[in-house]
Amino acid sequence: MVVKKHDLEAALYAEKQDINAGRLKDDNPLDLSETFRVFCEACRRGDLKVCQEKITEGVNINARDRFDYTPLILASLCGHFEVVQLLLESGALCERDTFQGERCLYNALNDRIRNLLLSYDYSKSTDPLQPLAAHITSLLTREHPKTSDVALVTADKTFHLHKFVLSARSPYFAKKLAANPDSTSFKLANTVPPQSFEVAVRYLYLQEVAADLGDGEEEQAVLTGIDKLSRQLEIDRLFESILEGGDRRLARQRRTEEVNRGRDQLHTWFQQNVLRHKITVATSKADSVRWDRNNGVFADVLLRADEDADEEEDEAERPAPPTVRQTSGPLNGIPIGPMSYPSRSPSRTRSSRKSVLFPAHRAMLLRSEFFSTMFSSSFREAQSTLYLQIIPIDCSPAVLEVVLTYLYTEKADFGLSIAIDVLHAADMLFIEKLKARAAVIISTLGNGGASVVEAENPRGETDIEEVVDIYDVVRAGWDTRVHRLEEFGARYIAYRLERFIDEEDFAELVRESANRIQARQETDTVELVDDIRYYLSERFRLRFEDAGLDEMMDESPEPHLQPSDPGYIDTCDEGSEGELYAADMEQMLAGGAVRTLDGEVAGDEFTQDAINYQILLGKIDRLLDRLRLDA
Amino acid sequence: MVSSTTQGLHGDDVDFESTWTTLASSFKEIHTKNASKLSYEELYRHAYRIVLKKKGEVLYGRVRDFEKEWLSQTVAASIQGLVTGSLRSGAHGSAAVTTANERREAGWRFLKGLKEAWQDHQLCMSMLADVLMYMDRVYCTDHRRPSIFITAMNLFRDCILLSKSSSEADSLTILAILNGIILDQIQMERDGDIIDKHLIKSCVYMLEGLYEADQEVEEQRLYVTSFETDFLNASREFYRKEGEFLLRESDAGAYCRHTQRRITEEQDRCRSTLSETTTPKIEQVVEDELVRNKLRELIEMESGVRHMIDNDRSADLRLMYILNSKVDPLKKELTSAIQQRIKEMGAEINAAAIAASQAQPAPAADAEGDKPKAPGDRALSQQTVAALKWVEDVLNLKDKYDSFWKFSFDSDQGMQKAISSSFTDFINSATFTRSSEYISLFIDENMKKGIKGKTETEVDQVLEKAIILLQYVQDKDMFERYYKKHLCRRLLMNKSLSNDVEKQMISRMKVEQGNNFTLKLEAMFKDMTISEELTTGFKGHVAKLGDADAARAELAINVLTSMTWPLETMGSSGDNEESRKMRCIFPPAIERIKKSFEKYYSDKHSGRQLTWLANMGSADLRATFPKVQTKEGIKERKHELNVSTYAMVILLLFNDIPASQSITFEEIQAKTNIPTSDLVRNLQSLAVAPKTRILIKEPMSKDVKPTDRFSFNEGFSGKFHKIKVGVVTAGNKVETDKERQSTEEKNNESRGFCIDAAVVRIMKQRKELTHQQLVTETLSQLATQFKPDINMIKKKIESLIEREYLERIDEAKVPSYRYLA
Repeated sequence: MVVKKHDLEAALYAEKQDINAGRLKDDNPLDLSETFRVFCEACRRGDLKVCQEKITEGVNINARDRFDYTPLILASLCGHFEVVQLLLESGALCERDTFQGERCLYNALNDRIRNLLLSYDYSKSTDPLQPLAAHITSLLTREHPKTSDVALVTADKTFHLHKFVLSARSPYFAKKLAANPDSTSFKLANTVPPQSFEVAVRYLYLQEVAADLGDGEEEQAVLTGIDKLSRQLEIDRLFESILEGGDRRLARQRRTEEVNRGRDQLHTWFQQNVLRHKITVATSKADSVRWDRNNGVFADVLLRADEDADEEEDEAERPAPPTVRQTSGPLNGIPIGPMSYPSRSPSRTRSSRKSVLFPAHRAMLLRSEFFSTMFSSSFREAQSTLYLQIIPIDCSPAVLEVVLTYLYTEKADFGLSIAIDVLHAADMLFIEKLKARAAVIISTLGNGGASVVEAENPRGETDIEEVVDIYDVVRAGWDTRVHRLEEFGARYIAYRLERFIDEEDFAELVRESANRIQARQETDTVELVDDIRYYLSERFRLRFEDAGLDEMMDESPEPHLQPSDPGYIDTCDEGSEGELYAADMEQMLAGGAVRTLDGEVAGDEFTQDAINYQILLGKIDRLLDRLRLDA
Repeated sequence: MVSSTTQGLHGDDVDFESTWTTLASSFKEIHTKNASKLSYEELYRHAYRIVLKKKGEVLYGRVRDFEKEWLSQTVAASIQGLVTGSLRSGAHGSAAVTTANERREAGWRFLKGLKEAWQDHQLCMSMLADVLMYMDRVYCTDHRRPSIFITAMNLFRDCILLSKSSSEADSLTILAILNGIILDQIQMERDGDIIDKHLIKSCVYMLEGLYEADQEVEEQRLYVTSFETDFLNASREFYRKEGEFLLRESDAGAYCRHTQRRITEEQDRCRSTLSETTTPKIEQVVEDELVRNKLRELIEMESGVRHMIDNDRSADLRLMYILNSKVDPLKKELTSAIQQRIKEMGAEINAAAIAASQAQPAPAADAEGDKPKAPGDRALSQQTVAALKWVEDVLNLKDKYDSFWKFSFDSDQGMQKAISSSFTDFINSATFTRSSEYISLFIDENMKKGIKGKTETEVDQVLEKAIILLQYVQDKDMFERYYKKHLCRRLLMNKSLSNDVEKQMISRMKVEQGNNFTLKLEAMFKDMTISEELTTGFKGHVAKLGDADAARAELAINVLTSMTWPLETMGSSGDNEESRKMRCIFPPAIERIKKSFEKYYSDKHSGRQLTWLANMGSADLRATFPKVQTKEGIKERKHELNVSTYAMVILLLFNDIPASQSITFEEIQAKTNIPTSDLVRNLQSLAVAPKTRILIKEPMSKDVKPTDRFSFNEGFSGKFHKIKVGVVTAGNKVETDKERQSTEEKNNESRGFCIDAAVVRIMKQRKELTHQQLVTETLSQLATQFKPDINMIKKKIESLIEREYLERIDEAKVPSYRYLA
């Protein structure tokens, strides 16, 4: 399984030689920047939030620090499973048969992490852009629904192509199309062999260009043709990349570079054309917008998103301190509820409501199953009309922009503030990867200011500021079937249980969770509560292990479980760091109980923790009892 | 208690209803093909919201109810409208009520209507499923419901296919009518009408796409459970009747062709009209009804297998073979029919041979070839002709079946075995015992005459034929005996045309029968070669002696190993042992050479005894006859006479006496000591045969009597310089009955030794054995040589017990023997 040491050393030496000679690009370049140092530090400590932030900033995830450590090695060495997962999902490489890959596997703290690393071997983690490239390539052969808007006629074959791809990828076509946007066919020189055209077109559509071009004179002719084309179309990289041979790794690097370039071109084009041409109009007038079929950005459909007045109002209220929880009034996190009706129920619409129209290309929208079904059906949207069809999408303009950016460029970097909305939109439009991405963002950034490792914070201290409404998150997780969010929610609540345990909303959430399971008829436990109990034990576990108090934990529960025993509350009172918790307790219980005793105050923090743990467990049980009775 | 959160998600009942109303009216539009005005996004959004609000269940139910209502009210009515009276009766099977044309038209309309309804339904439902995609993905997956599309397909089955065709309570379901119509149409096609295959195929696709229950189990497709069974039953009935009709009305060849066509038709039908999965089943039905159940009758028909064989209908036979192999990989019926026919034909050939050999010689037989010179030979040559005829017939028969086997029976292994065993059976049949002899004779004939002027390949063919026949012979030892006898004659009398061919034959037999079989035959050839060497050696020896005597006779000698050569068969018939041993007295000149050779030989090989067989030799004489007036003038006539050794001895007697003198038969016998019968025959050829009358007999008569006197015929004249004086021989043709008897006796004797040897070999190895086992083993050991008679084995065992090789085990329950060392 594991490569021998001397083999590794030999391979490493050979690799170094190659890199020094410039034959190979270093997979793990040295990075001494401050950002990277912070990133590595976060990986060492297991700080998910910082990791996510740095990744979003665009730090090179596969770089190495001056001790030759990559972030992935650090995270796996220090045993932070979630961080390792995040890094891998974000494209960190852990490839067998490379020095750094083997090192990473070798260093993994435990088997769980090691198996995770193995499951992300090259074949899987490879290129996060592959789906995008594959989709664009598939446009060449996809016949239904028809998306091509220009025909490239050669001597014996006609290629059905897309103006926006040509324009984005080839400066030559960009100029030609800018001068003459409504041309429907191009004719290129007949002297160039058709194979050359084929190679060029495949290159433009991000397909891997094969080096095998026949043999002898034929190859010569084809190569000449390619050379000519690549100069004419101003895609000089094409000819170079065909001439460059090389081994597997080199080819892969080149391919990755090539796709990256392609993506960047698309991205630039997308920003300069699609985003720049979005129109903001009053919602009432949105339907009367007329776009001609022949337009400068070659759009063949308009997507409409309505701005939501409520949304803005809600966001204005957001900074309010969490202690004053908004239990009434619409919740921003459930986007559909408040947003779904404005367009249909004018009473709630404000006069100033705006709509944003994005010109878009069906070819790219097809990446969403929602759109691909829509355009393949025989409904109105699939028909060709004189003016571009306007398709309303049930989300805010900002979210729609995120969705479009993802579809065009595979980029999905957005703030926590719209993450839940994006999650819902992605779920509605069937864009699984975007959904997963939103879930990652929520679960890594959602911990708010409490960015430090949670295991170090057993007493549930949290910052005053709450960045996310955890109830919304859990519900969104259920609605969109993202298990990761349920887990995140349970963990989040467990670490702050003192604060939530007595809220009526929490009880409601537990009830919902119970109902969900009833409907599924899978088990008779309440999933949410089980998860919370699990994370609760995790929260306190390290403390007990350190103090060797496991035994005490085993023996002591019985007396502590007396639900109405108020004595333990007092212990909290004593705790120097338990003020917030104590305050909650005070609010919740009748004031008199607190004052009754203080005699058996625990001597140290550990005892305090143990008692707190029992109190919380007891409260959960009582809550369940009550809910059962109610139900 | 109820927070705003729950309100947003759950509370909105009114909204659900209005949303559903919107959806329902849009669905109606879709069903009435007005979908192009609808917005996919809007419908999807409605459905999406309902599901998100946990109303998926209600939505699912509503859609199902909507479809149910639509199908059972709108669609069902239009389908029922297509069901006319003629269809109902057609489905009942009383076809006579309406004309075929009407039925076809009505059926066509019904199928078309149903097909269109089904396609519309599929199209609309796929649009609905598109709209309800979120429900399918979220609600149906979570709650393990079949997708709405599948549910709707099942609704089509329940509301349309399984609904009654009219309001009457006992009316048929649409499905039953559909089945009836398709069956009716197929029947029309079988009767030669043209039908719309495409349309039926679409309906079949529909049935294949639907299942009996809501679970999609492959075997539960409506096509299988409903239509296919009906189809197979109807077809079975149809083919049973057709088969009976054909057996009555047509001949076997036509029957086979028809069946073949029907099978192809059904295969085509499955491909073009029904489902490929039915192909094996319907083939089975056709084979059952037209082949398996009718095969025996078919074979035994007047125009059946026998007729086909007799008239060389190999194409028909081939069909018969194909049909039979479809239902029975062993092809028992056909095989046994063939076998029986071979045996019949073989028996006919045997009977013809026996009849020919016993009948008076027909003039035709003379014309055919070897003209018998003496009347006594006639019966013999009659046999030869019969033998050749028999071999030829058998070979023809073999050729015939071989060509059937190749062309009609696909060179089938089992068939070949069956044919071979039938040939073996009749060739070795108990009523015909001469096959070994006939085959040997056939070879003999060919060696002596047949292969003259033939190319190598032709010769090869002849040899091949002989070998083929030989394979069928069970009593190989009999054949060996005959072959040896015939070979011996050919060799000694130099009658064989080509030594090479002889050797080829031997080597072929060696390949076929093994070394043992040809051992003695090869030894015979070896003797011949050694003799040649001896002759030359002796010549050299004589030359070295130096006394060149011009008058000295030259000697060419064949030294034969007495055990190898069947010398007894060379003797004249009727000779007894005594006369054989009588030594011929040679004239002194000859006697000298004889002595000298004996000396030469015993110098070379000490301890060997030479016995001179004068009755087998021949001699060349240079005879000078006195001058006689002829047409060309007076001249002395010299002839070279080729005569038998005895004749030479006789003629040399006349050297010693004056030409005018004569000697009596008895005097000759006294002087030469030649056995009487040989002397008679030799004198006959010298004095009676008209062309070689070198002696004059007194009185002139055909028979030679002891009192006859002989003198040298000075006036003899021949046309040629060389004259061959044939000896009137006993003939080398077919044996006389007497000879046969002795051959068989000898054969039995040698068989006895073989059995003895085999029994002893077995017992030596096994020590103790029951009687039954011993017999079985003996039989199997001897199978390659001959088929021993059980009684003979018993006798041999008895004699072995007497000779104390074996003893009976007294205490054994079953008779057993023990080997005595």
